[in-house]
Amino acid sequence: MTNDKSPLQLISRGILSENPIFKLALSMCPAVGISTTVMNGILLGTAVLFVQVFSSVTISVFKNYIHPRIRIPTYTLTIATWVTVIDLVLAAYMPEAYAKMGIFVKLIVAFAIITMRLEMFACKESVNDSFWDGLGMGLGFMVGMVAIGLVRELLGSGAILGYDVLGFKPLLFFILPSAGFFVVGLMMAFFNWIEIYYKRRRGVQ
Amino acid sequence: MRDMITIVVRLTISCLLAASVMGLCFIFTSNAKKHNEHVKEQQVMYELLGYSGAAERPASLAMHELYRYVVSSGGRQSIGYLLPGAEGEEAGFLFVNIDLDGRLIASTPVALSAGDALEAEPRNRAIQAAAGPGASVTFADQTIVVTDGGERIAYLMGGKFQGFKTFIHLMLAVDPDFALIGFEVLEHEEDPGLGAEIVEGYFKNQFKGKPFTAIKTIDVVKAPIPDDYYKALTGKVGEEEILRFREQYKEKDIYALTGATISAKAVAMGVKGIVTKFAYRIDVLDRVLQEQQLATSF
Repeated sequence: MTNDKSPLQLISRGILSENPIFKLALSMCPAVGISTTVMNGILLGTAVLFVQVFSSVTISVFKNYIHPRIRIPTYTLTIATWVTVIDLVLAAYMPEAYAKMGIFVKLIVAFAIITMRLEMFACKESVNDSFWDGLGMGLGFMVGMVAIGLVRELLGSGAILGYDVLGFKPLLFFILPSAGFFVVGLMMAFFNWIEIYYKRRRGVQ
Repeated sequence: MRDMITIVVRLTISCLLAASVMGLCFIFTSNAKKHNEHVKEQQVMYELLGYSGAAERPASLAMHELYRYVVSSGGRQSIGYLLPGAEGEEAGFLFVNIDLDGRLIASTPVALSAGDALEAEPRNRAIQAAAGPGASVTFADQTIVVTDGGERIAYLMGGKFQGFKTFIHLMLAVDPDFALIGFEVLEHEEDPGLGAEIVEGYFKNQFKGKPFTAIKTIDVVKAPIPDDYYKALTGKVGEEEILRFREQYKEKDIYALTGATISAKAVAMGVKGIVTKFAYRIDVLDRVLQEQQLATSF
């Protein structure tokens, strides 16, 4: 099975037509739990981006040596290794960023999106394509997290990136975990609606 | 069967590979990490004392580290303190062993260089030697006495306690009357957006200036913070206003964090525990030092 998409198409696929959060509905726990502010979305998105790219490339390099029966444990091991490495490097050389990201980085081991991309793409495709696919998926996840964070932060604490925009707190409910479900659900519907609308209009023409 | 063997071999190899990658990474980063933690701790200490950023620290300011050990020998437990001796750095250290009723068991001078005292390994060995054979010593905690020209101005202490998920690690500063100067969260794993709000100014500042009597009975109330008090806590009003509010709320309880009462309560109870225990211990230690005419640097 070969891949006939260009790097740009791979990236845009991750962000739009196969967005991890809004289209594939994977890694919903962080999407619901942590996306309370835009900053959280950016930090977690960056961390996932790195882990996804590194893991995709690693698995793609070793794809011929992985026994098909133990591929899932191998993926988990790869992800855990990269998460640990990133955690250690951040703690050592970027203490400022680590103070903010430290909590999130350790969570990434259990993210379904990364394992799923390794299973669906990296273990079959070339190293080069895996890199672009990982980059696209990581960016797509980041875009999704930031979009949800934007809505929740604005409606929950009346701020964007910590700057007070509205001057009051409209609905505290949006910061609580349960609101995450509503926001994610509504945004999913919104993105699907856009896609359907776009396809229909193209179909008519 | 052959399948099984290949699986085992391959899994083992990949585990070994992963382990060596992580191990190598750890070796290269552990020193930098330790250094960062130390720098951060120093910075937090000075910030708690009010010397943040560019503010000049007076030369008369000195920090004296007290290390507390639990000594158990022959089924009896006692508390041992490693104290810096009176005359500067050459005086070495003093190991004071106090039993649980607050009576002195022994005090032994310890020859230890100031640099070695900061490292856990040589310090533990020196303490072991000072406590005598047959006694086992366990490091408990360390406190820093801050003096300014010989006068005690504050105590700094670290503390760990159970939060909502894992441990919350704090650094506290109290004045000689055990009123809270402030605290800083060094490490925690509370939920972002909820329990993690314990690091925010509006929560931490509620503790500032609480007298010891209030800390002893501190609790949290589940109520929204009044608007004007919130403004004062976030520093949106003038200095006098903030002090006025601090005075007004000084005997009151802490307002819980919305959606994270457990985290807020954990911090309040943790602070209470650390400060009350410390106040008791330092009283005992001071009394012993005075009775026995032992000279220390603070």
